[in-house]
Amino acid sequence: MQVSLSWLSTHLDLSSYTVPQLSDLLTFAGVEVEGIEERGVATDKVVVAQIQSFEQHPNADKLSVCQVDDGSGTLRQIVCGAKNFKAGDKVPLALPGAVLPGGFAIKEGKLRGVDSLGMLCSGTELGIGEDTGGLLIMAADSPVGTPFNKLNPADVLFDLEITPNRSDLLSHLGLARELAALTGLPLKGERHHANASTSTKVKAAAEEQIVIKAAEACPLYTARLIKGVKVGPSPEWLRRRLESIGLRPINSIVDITNYVMMEMGQSLHCVDLDTLKGGIVVRLASEGEKFLALDGLSYALQTDDLVIADSERPVAIAGVMGGGETGVTETTVNVLLESAYFAPSGIRRTSRRLGLSSDSSYRFERGIDPQQVQGGSELATKLILEIAGGTAEDVVQVAGAAPALVGEVTLDENRARKLLGTPDMTGDEIRAILNKLGLTQKSASEHESQWMIPSYRLDLLRAVDLMEEIARVIGLDRVPSRQVAVAAPVDAADRAYDFAMNLRQTLASRGFFEAQTLRLIADAQLADSLGGGQGVAVKNPLSEDHTTLRPSIVPGLIATAALNIRQGLHRLRFFELGRVFLTLPKGGSREEERLAVLLSGPVSPTSWHGREPQAADVHELVGQIQNLTRTPLEVRPVKENSANYLLTSELRAGNRILGWIAQLHPARAREIDARHPVYVAELLLSALRQGSTGPTKFEELPRFPGMTRDVAMEVPADLAHAKVAAFFATQKHPLFVGAEVFDVFADPSGTKIAKDRKSIAWTLTYRSADKTLETAEVDAAHTAILTALEKTLPATVRR
Amino acid sequence: MLSELDSLKITALAALDAAQDESALEAVRVNFLGKKGSVTALSQGMKDVPVEQKKEVGAKLNEVRTAITEGIDTKKLALQAAQDGKAVEGIDITLPGRPGAGVGALHPLTQIRDLAIRTLRRMGFALAEGPEIETEWHCFDALNTPADHPARNEKDTFYLPDGRLLRTHTSSVQVRTMEAAKALPIRIIAPGAAYRRDEIDATHLSVFNQLEGLYVNQDVSLGDLKGTLEYFFREIFGAGTAVRFRPHFFPFTEPSFEIDVKLEAKGKEARWIEIAGCGMVDPAVFAEINKARGDTLFDPETTTGFAFGLGLDRLAMIMHGITDIRHLIENDVRFLQQFAA
Repeated sequence: MQVSLSWLSTHLDLSSYTVPQLSDLLTFAGVEVEGIEERGVATDKVVVAQIQSFEQHPNADKLSVCQVDDGSGTLRQIVCGAKNFKAGDKVPLALPGAVLPGGFAIKEGKLRGVDSLGMLCSGTELGIGEDTGGLLIMAADSPVGTPFNKLNPADVLFDLEITPNRSDLLSHLGLARELAALTGLPLKGERHHANASTSTKVKAAAEEQIVIKAAEACPLYTARLIKGVKVGPSPEWLRRRLESIGLRPINSIVDITNYVMMEMGQSLHCVDLDTLKGGIVVRLASEGEKFLALDGLSYALQTDDLVIADSERPVAIAGVMGGGETGVTETTVNVLLESAYFAPSGIRRTSRRLGLSSDSSYRFERGIDPQQVQGGSELATKLILEIAGGTAEDVVQVAGAAPALVGEVTLDENRARKLLGTPDMTGDEIRAILNKLGLTQKSASEHESQWMIPSYRLDLLRAVDLMEEIARVIGLDRVPSRQVAVAAPVDAADRAYDFAMNLRQTLASRGFFEAQTLRLIADAQLADSLGGGQGVAVKNPLSEDHTTLRPSIVPGLIATAALNIRQGLHRLRFFELGRVFLTLPKGGSREEERLAVLLSGPVSPTSWHGREPQAADVHELVGQIQNLTRTPLEVRPVKENSANYLLTSELRAGNRILGWIAQLHPARAREIDARHPVYVAELLLSALRQGSTGPTKFEELPRFPGMTRDVAMEVPADLAHAKVAAFFATQKHPLFVGAEVFDVFADPSGTKIAKDRKSIAWTLTYRSADKTLETAEVDAAHTAILTALEKTLPATVRR
Repeated sequence: MLSELDSLKITALAALDAAQDESALEAVRVNFLGKKGSVTALSQGMKDVPVEQKKEVGAKLNEVRTAITEGIDTKKLALQAAQDGKAVEGIDITLPGRPGAGVGALHPLTQIRDLAIRTLRRMGFALAEGPEIETEWHCFDALNTPADHPARNEKDTFYLPDGRLLRTHTSSVQVRTMEAAKALPIRIIAPGAAYRRDEIDATHLSVFNQLEGLYVNQDVSLGDLKGTLEYFFREIFGAGTAVRFRPHFFPFTEPSFEIDVKLEAKGKEARWIEIAGCGMVDPAVFAEINKARGDTLFDPETTTGFAFGLGLDRLAMIMHGITDIRHLIENDVRFLQQFAA
């Protein structure tokens, strides 16, 4: 909200505060100052001057040499670049020594060889924001020599963020009231403008004049008839007030209602009485009822929208926007002035549904003071009579009654001290704070006090609300800091975090970059998913790039790869840990933490050591994953569930599925301009973690040396390594410890070995726990295993 | 024989002297001391030496053999020393090292989150978590946010067709934790993603990262809140960092504050930067939780607590001087590698 210091100053004298002090005062009262703009000039050295004569500058086409009367009795010569003036015009003159907004200091000097003893100014140069393409031409009756700021007072505009609980601060009077409470300065005027009284009688409205058919949404409605007005432009002071806070003057009646709203927070509405047919009905709209608003658009209403209607049609959406056919115009003669209290929730609902937000709806939906409804009407009436003339009916017609939104609150002062952590705060101090905020003490016992809440403080309903007020006023500087540490038992979330953090550090130290991609991905990315789950679609996505909660992290990593490839990077090493979202077949969803890895390009960065290192193959990624899992990994090829992949395989440890691994289909890899094959994996963190719980148990080191025997064999080319490994894993010979593959050889040309065959070689290890083995014992064991091997597998051992 | 031995010794020592490498030295050894070597041949002649000369000739033979053996050893050490001196010849040690698998990096968000978590763990906060797809009750109702609150609409919040939503803050984890708690105290932090229906630009993401904190016990005061968060931000930004608390409004805390820290940007005057929101848990939140639990673990008469929340993306940006938040989700390696540890 824009707030004018000069306007505020009509309510209290803030001259003893600097702008930064005021800004701090507001900030620590909970009103955030988002901007400060200083307008006009504070210096007296800018004065009204009259141009007596001017002539072309001898050395510059675009400059004029002016003789001006600055009120001193002698003419002053000024060189000026503007063209929009004539002799006799009155303009602002900055005298030498003046400092203009922005720190521009005026000095005597020469311009192209001609003396210039000051500067004639434009509106923008004086920080009043009116740029008319030249000098600011002032009113003809402006007295020459008068300081400019006497005629155009300097002002400071604060851009304030008022929190939703403090609707009472959405006006200059409200803010002045708050500042008065905080500073102890006296308020100048009456709090509710009750002295603006123009009427004598308040009278319940007759049914044919006002009917409220929706008392819950509109508990109080008042109308005042003012006849014989002459609508025209507002006077200078009113226009200036509105313009200073960014409102556009329209006509005197509309301007007055806006002024009253910004002055005291009461939103009013004026209609042209002669356009009304019958009395006012405050009612809910009928389904689909059309409303032609003053913005020229037609709105379709619903049955929970509150309207102000005459006997035929709505003339306003209550508290939100007036009608296009009934508004006050230059030709309006008779006015109905509405001032009412509308319940916040209905206004909020309607305003949001129709996408219509106005200064008025903003105030109603946050809640206004019901006690100010009549004061607002009175102030507006007084101003209309002053400015637009006419006669006000002596009677204010009132339907309904002001709801009591606040009442009494009891404060346990000991609890306040405990909550605030200020044991030394005295009862007197607490009560003084609440008093100055306008609360009235009803009664008090030793540690308890009862308080009447002022009608405008809609946020003070409970004891804790009063404690907040005390905290706000004393500030946290008064509260001593305290630190307690409590022993925190390690639980599942802590273990999961530590596990994930270890994985991250391991991968980073192996040359992988951690990515963090958005969890909302595009439909088009779903085919890049690994793991086969279905994501969770959002009902109201913001764009087609972010429609679905990802069922897999890999799509994000592929987008990351694509971005880096565009930057010319072809060695790609990425991982991401994070959450995925899976739609469950029976409805609902599941969230799960995963790790995804992407790998492409040379196994090590290129350097000066000769040739480019070879590009990583799928075994590189399997190895990386194997090194993370610690338990032996089984890679089991599965059916592809996306055309974007080849080689899709499950990674398993025993019965647990750890995740999936695949190669990005070359066609898809070409789409992202990948130069090397792209491999991806996605792992389930919970499954990975299962293999690593509890402390490691130490195993005795072997006391006797083991012996090894190598075996080479020929097998069908399509016999999976896993089959051979499974054979060795199940051998129970007491001396056999284990086996490892050390060579795989195939020859696609069929020269060295038949095309449909391959040669593999394994090293087998034998050991006894009790003694050093004799060669003969090992040979016997080895022969037994090879015999079993040839029986079990289609293998021919080379002997 | 004696003179033969003397001249053999001279010949051998001269040959040793002439040997330039280890293989030449070995040849010398073979020539003189080998099975067919000259010294060996002479020693075989010992049997023909007259008895009275045997002692003298034997001594001479030993002397010659020892001289040659020692000569070989000495020469060998000298040759090795000369060779060792050449071991690093031609090496340019200023060349870059072999890259190995290269250097990776943790994402700056991970690093800042970990710093925050480690700091708060030292104060006895345990981690907690909750779902990102939430019910309206956990995200809003339980947090004293009325049904017609401005945030609760499809313009600002992502919804699912089944009525659930993507949590707009990690504060829903407060509710999850209190719902499931067996006893007091509760002292948790919850890092996690949150969602708001914001267009992505230099300062906004639709998915962002927060860190939530909650401490509930008997007699938790505003002083605890202040002490904890002052400690936290001074650990993060440095011991002398000025921290201030500005009164603010959040539906689920009362009183509520925003926290600013005073930081210097490069070449600029230090200024207050908004960094977190916090406050004392509103009794209405306890009441709602009790209602859901069906007990009074959170007795509003005796139980108090504080909560805080901060944006990790923003913290990372402030900490590292990152000017565009989109860097945090694009994962350009040129960006990431700047944060290699």
